[in-house]
Amino acid sequence: MNLQAITALSLALLQQMAIYLAVAYLLSRTRLFIPLTRATIRWPHRLACYVIFSLFCIMGTLLGLPVVSANAIANTPAIGAVIGGLLGGPWVGLAVGITGGLHRYQLGGSFALPAALDIIAQGLLGGFTHRYLIRSGQVRMLFSPLLAATVTFIGVVIELGIDLALARPFDEALHIVSLIALPMLIANTLGAAVFMEILNDRRDRIEHQSRAFSAKALEIAAHADGVLRHGFDQENSMRVARILYDQTGVGAVAITDCEKILAFIGIGDDHHLPGTSITSPHTHAAIANNEVFFADGNEVPYQCSIDPHCRLGSSLVIPLAGEDGRVIGTIKLYEPKTRLFSTINRTLGEGIAKLLSSQILAGRYERQKSLLLQSELKLLQAQINPHFLFNALNTILSVTHDDVGKARELIRDLSTYLRKNLKRPTEDVTLFEEIDHIRAYLGIQLARFSDRLTVDIDIPDDLMSVRVPAFTLQPLVENAIKHGTSQMLTAGHIAIRARRQDDALVLEVEDNAGRFEPKPDRDGLGMNIVDRRIKNRYGESHGVTMTSQPGRSTLATVRVPMEALPQCSPS
Amino acid sequence: MFTVLIVDDEPHARQELRRALSEAPDIRIEGECGNAIEALAMIARNKPDVVFLDIQMPQITGIEMLGLLDHATMPYVVFVTAFDDYAVQAFEKNAFDYLLKPVTHDRLELTLDRLRHNRRAQDFSVLSEATRLRQIPCFGQHMVFLLKIDQVEYVESRAAGIYVVDLDGEERPTDVPLNVLQQRTPLLRCHRQFLINVDQVQKLRYIESGLAEFVTRRGRPIPISRRLLPSIKERLGIV
Repeated sequence: MNLQAITALSLALLQQMAIYLAVAYLLSRTRLFIPLTRATIRWPHRLACYVIFSLFCIMGTLLGLPVVSANAIANTPAIGAVIGGLLGGPWVGLAVGITGGLHRYQLGGSFALPAALDIIAQGLLGGFTHRYLIRSGQVRMLFSPLLAATVTFIGVVIELGIDLALARPFDEALHIVSLIALPMLIANTLGAAVFMEILNDRRDRIEHQSRAFSAKALEIAAHADGVLRHGFDQENSMRVARILYDQTGVGAVAITDCEKILAFIGIGDDHHLPGTSITSPHTHAAIANNEVFFADGNEVPYQCSIDPHCRLGSSLVIPLAGEDGRVIGTIKLYEPKTRLFSTINRTLGEGIAKLLSSQILAGRYERQKSLLLQSELKLLQAQINPHFLFNALNTILSVTHDDVGKARELIRDLSTYLRKNLKRPTEDVTLFEEIDHIRAYLGIQLARFSDRLTVDIDIPDDLMSVRVPAFTLQPLVENAIKHGTSQMLTAGHIAIRARRQDDALVLEVEDNAGRFEPKPDRDGLGMNIVDRRIKNRYGESHGVTMTSQPGRSTLATVRVPMEALPQCSPS
Repeated sequence: MFTVLIVDDEPHARQELRRALSEAPDIRIEGECGNAIEALAMIARNKPDVVFLDIQMPQITGIEMLGLLDHATMPYVVFVTAFDDYAVQAFEKNAFDYLLKPVTHDRLELTLDRLRHNRRAQDFSVLSEATRLRQIPCFGQHMVFLLKIDQVEYVESRAAGIYVVDLDGEERPTDVPLNVLQQRTPLLRCHRQFLINVDQVQKLRYIESGLAEFVTRRGRPIPISRRLLPSIKERLGIV
């Protein structure tokens, strides 16, 4: 008879358990469960943990079955208390236990007090297990269904022990315990394991979604990085569109500027042709209002503006912002009529548009900066100082009388200098060519100041084939004469040196005038351009530095990377 | 017959001009100088009739050099420059003669013709650098020292010459006349023999019989002449 009663009770309790778990499963689909998916030390999360597991604890009591004229209840509050403690720690376990316990106590019966104490004990059991696992670094174990089942099993054993110890009369207690022990153990242990499995399910789904989303976003960002930096044109847009199409898996991708389609890939590329004007009113509206436009083809109807038989059924238009937030084009994602437009792709699309906008902007800024630099440099060369030129001619004229051979040499120097100055400044030259330019220039200057200028050039032969940007050294030598030695009443001296320092080529121009004053706006123009151009290209650790000992010396030092290191012999 | 001084910092330029001028029968070249400081000494010593003066020279430009000379007694100036757009414009407007390097034969003839028959009246006031001094060239041992005006404490004319005293009390002789310094610097004439930098005055002290003297920040007394005292007091706002 007892066996029959126990079996009946077990089945009944398992049925109640099913209702309990159904509620748990439904709740797990809501945002309420998100804080429960990881072991936390944050108080807001702990509070959520407390509230939810207290409710489960109370529900476990309420779904119980009265046994022996309602003095006792075969029930499942243990699951809430144990898992609450496991996930929230001892304090949460205790709080859940007390809440569940008070609730059970006020229901009354000869088992009221022991049952209330049971729940508190189970909460603490879960809590201390939590603490033990955290301290021994086994956080993942907290979510193990097997562990939850084991702890709950122990919890129920303790519960039965307390019941026997405290409930009076003992005979009745023993009778009741012998009746409920097996059903309680089965239902609670099984329930705790399934409950934990529900939690794990929920967590895995969240992680899976966000992992997929981040992976996709990062993939697109990595592929598209820098493409539009080189210009917002048809070719680059086509490359970006291809990346978006491959990565998002949408039906079609288009990129437009404010007038025409720059790129189109996917369904409908037979009639959406790059180079043709924008016809879609949605795109025009998105450009005009700088607003994202989304037609899901359902609530907001979508119809291709080019071909009525187009298979595309929904469209997302995102404006690309340029300077001052002005719209410079759009990105469009499409899905065919047969497919839904996923929220992920919508969010992705907007994020990617932001990324591309900043790329386009950065690219424009960089191009403008380098254009400015190039034009300044052109100006610098075009300024073949007329004072220098006419003085050179006057010197040659004078030398012609005394030394025709020398005069011929000077004319050759002058023409070399002029020819080199006409070279495009974007070119790289070997150090040999740069020195050749300087030698020609110095040939003239040494003749002009024959009584008070000497120059030493000391460049190791193995550095002569290193490539440097044209006009790197020449403006510095010109500066050293113009603002340095030519202003001296006594003899001027200029030393030009090159050496290798780690992976850098170091060029030095030193004069003995020591008249350098850091005035960035004035005559240092040539030097500043040289410095900015090198920094632009090779970064802040390269460029020109000036040091000066007033009245003694000025030293200009240029650092550029050894781009084309010649084959150095080991000696 | 004219005596001529050539001032240019490039030896070949001087040589070229000397060659061109040597063709003229009535020109005698007295000398050549490579900078303004040598030229000042040479002008003071030889008093040439004409100076052919380069503009771009070390430390003191040709135009600045004019500021160191007494305009009333100085030689006639012909500027010689390779290219100086700004200065050339000023010369054209204000009747200074100038030559462009390389100098052509015809253009030089025109200049020589003007020298002989109708010299232009030179108006130095339009060349601001020729009427305001930035620095005073002083002589040290084997070197020329260019002292900025705000580094001057006072200037004194002694029997041995003009001496410039700097803020450290260092004295250096200069070739620039006292009246030129008075006209072209903010230094204040307070005595027949003294110019003072008013910024360096610490106090004005009355001494007996209505006389007064300045005391500089360094504590050096500088006499004030009875004749100049009223105008000095007025200028300094002392009633």
